[in-house]
Amino acid sequence: MFKTILSGVLCLSAGAFLVATVTGDDLGTRAHTLHFSAIVVDTHDDTTQRFLDGRFDLGPRNASGSIDIPRMKEGGLSAIFFSIWMPSKVTGPEAVKRALVQIDAVREQIRKHPKDLVLATTNKEIRDAHAQGKIAALMGVEGGHMLGGDLAVLRTYAALGVRYMTLTHSGNVEWADSSTDAPAHNGLAEFGKDVVREMNRLGMIVDISHVSDKTFYDALGVSRAPVFASHSSCRATCDAPRNMTDEMIKALAAKGGVIQINFHVGFLSQEFRNAEKANPEIEKAIAAEVQRRCGGQESCQLIVGDEVTREYVAKGLLPRVDYTKIIEHIDHAVKVSGVDHVGLGSDFDGANMPYGMEDATGLPKITEALLRKGYAEGDIRKILGENTLRVMAEVERVSRELNSAPLK
Amino acid sequence: MRRAIAVACLGLCLCFALLKVRSTGADDIAERAHKLHFSSIVLDTHDDTTQRFFSKDFDLGKRNPDGHIDIPRMREGGMNAIFFSIWIDGRIMGPPAVQKALDQIDAVHENVHKFSKDLVFCRTAEEVRRAHAQGKIAALIGVEGGHMIGNDIRALRMYGDLGVRYMTLSHFYNDEWADSSTDKPVHNGLTDFGKDIVREMNRQGIMVDISHVSDKTFYDALEVSKAPLIASHSSCRALCNHVRDMSDDMIKALAAKGGVIQINYEKSFIDQAYKDASEKLSGGVVAQFDQFKKVCGDDQECFGRKMAEQEKQATAEGKLPHVSWERIIEHIDHAVKLAGADHVGLGSDFDGATMPDGMEDCSKLPKITEALLRKGYSEDDIRKILGGNTLRVMEQVERVSREIQSQR
Repeated sequence: MFKTILSGVLCLSAGAFLVATVTGDDLGTRAHTLHFSAIVVDTHDDTTQRFLDGRFDLGPRNASGSIDIPRMKEGGLSAIFFSIWMPSKVTGPEAVKRALVQIDAVREQIRKHPKDLVLATTNKEIRDAHAQGKIAALMGVEGGHMLGGDLAVLRTYAALGVRYMTLTHSGNVEWADSSTDAPAHNGLAEFGKDVVREMNRLGMIVDISHVSDKTFYDALGVSRAPVFASHSSCRATCDAPRNMTDEMIKALAAKGGVIQINFHVGFLSQEFRNAEKANPEIEKAIAAEVQRRCGGQESCQLIVGDEVTREYVAKGLLPRVDYTKIIEHIDHAVKVSGVDHVGLGSDFDGANMPYGMEDATGLPKITEALLRKGYAEGDIRKILGENTLRVMAEVERVSRELNSAPLK
Repeated sequence: MRRAIAVACLGLCLCFALLKVRSTGADDIAERAHKLHFSSIVLDTHDDTTQRFFSKDFDLGKRNPDGHIDIPRMREGGMNAIFFSIWIDGRIMGPPAVQKALDQIDAVHENVHKFSKDLVFCRTAEEVRRAHAQGKIAALIGVEGGHMIGNDIRALRMYGDLGVRYMTLSHFYNDEWADSSTDKPVHNGLTDFGKDIVREMNRQGIMVDISHVSDKTFYDALEVSKAPLIASHSSCRALCNHVRDMSDDMIKALAAKGGVIQINYEKSFIDQAYKDASEKLSGGVVAQFDQFKKVCGDDQECFGRKMAEQEKQATAEGKLPHVSWERIIEHIDHAVKLAGADHVGLGSDFDGATMPDGMEDCSKLPKITEALLRKGYSEDDIRKILGGNTLRVMEQVERVSREIQSQR
């Protein structure tokens, strides 16, 4: 009897204890519920490169890299922009053909996994996919060098489902300056402006990640629809030319756009960036090691680059950057431009991920961290995906308007 | 007296009435033909008009003084489904061929968009029927030559996704995987890779077109394909011994697998005397082509003009015989006698060939219906030849594609 009562008391106190910790972790539960009911959109993933080696498949859980179907599901990632990319030195018909091959690779993966993936080209299709419990797969072309200087090619990409194009990659194109090349066009050349206008007509989002500041302002001036930075962070927090100044973020927001925060440690952390600059031999050694393990194979280089960088961090040769840096960038951008203009553009499978954000399964941590920071649930939903969906809806509306205008 | 006059009048009236009935009887066929033609789906599987889209002087929406195709003349000729051909010189290969093909596919889509009141882009037999029900002209796309896939099955898939509904396995020259009828055999027909391409076309629901290919390539493709094939623009070798035409054996084998021979109106392919005279004059179609290429380069408008000029002059000088449009009927009739009415259709080669007298452009198409009716063909059989047979092949190709894709 006593034993029974005692055990009852014990049970009660254990129960009370449990409640207390759950209350302490009530946020954890709320975050989980919020995250897994929200539409989580990632506007930049380099996983496409892995499709090309013929062995990688999105279906099973992979030991390397950051993205596959099981991990997207575990991380509550509901919509992903697969990036079509090749080095900017590849140009002309060769670049066009290679881009086509990558678009095909994305579409083949979608065909191969119809239970989990569905091709989406509009904000509504993303919402429909989410309602059906499927992951929406989208495509972005990362660099105008893949146009072959030909608007017909741009239209072809749009017809095949591509929904954004980054105007440049690391090198200038014939009609736009990159942030990581010597300026040659003073921003956007005349043809570049035509490209932006045609993107507006086609309902493609103009992506200003990678471009020079002048190209950004030129594109912003020409575009009739909001533009976004598919994977760029804040220069005020980490002074990389790939990131955006506060002034740029404000200008982007004023036109209804979104800055999609990039998780790459070199764009998140000034300390990491300084260490890289101070020790150029480390960067060279990493590059050499990547070359040794991968040869010229680009998909391998992207994945192994992250792995080798981690080895250097583990040895204490480079500073460790935690995923909380992502939260700092989100918070900075929100403070600069308001919560309607910030989103997520991880750069998974194409960059060096911070600790705690090794792959897509880490994404719920962002929701929890923002909730703990006091962000409203509605605001977090915006950052997770609704802002991007709003930009898409607006880009689609502008496209309809331009297409219904009388023809020249 | 009065009465007598009245009776006489009545008698005269009756006589006139009888006479009228009899003369209407003579022209009853014309009226029936008109009704039949303009209520049928008239589908032409091969038109080279796409090349003209790149000329500033050409407007598909207006009646043009030259060429064979534009919307007003299609309306006048009751032509309500057209395959626009994507074509470049068969010696252009690799990525440049891919980009040029994309440019042409885009040009078709842009023209359909521009003339959306009259044209609607179609991918399936069902869509063609719907277009017809709405009073619109169905626009479809065929790629004329395997050289345009850049030796890459992935480019073929992208063409399929862009709406291409047939591909001719070769043009005038062998490509990397198939022998042409007008080149020296090097692959002994279709290579293993060429067979994979046929299988992929089956999977994608793209019709396999065996016009232009060598006889061995034809038999190889016929054996590999799980779906019926078409010859998008070939006539009968028994009536005009040209390698571009099909032998009786080939026509029978094609029909046995449910396919269709689409009769080509080119004078060199339908009239032996013309073919012989033309070869004597300019050394055959390929030599003639090269001769124009020297003068015109890549300017396809110039090509068409020069071809028409030279042809007109040579005919006027008596160096080339006149060919009547009735030869087309002879070829249709020959193929029907061989293979049955289910296996013959129309593949004019308008805007890409020299037309016989009386078939100067697509406005003359109703003559075919009338001639067949006068020949005693049933209305049902004529509808099949005009377009029904091709729609049947399209449906079968679609069904095979669904089957293959569901097996995955």
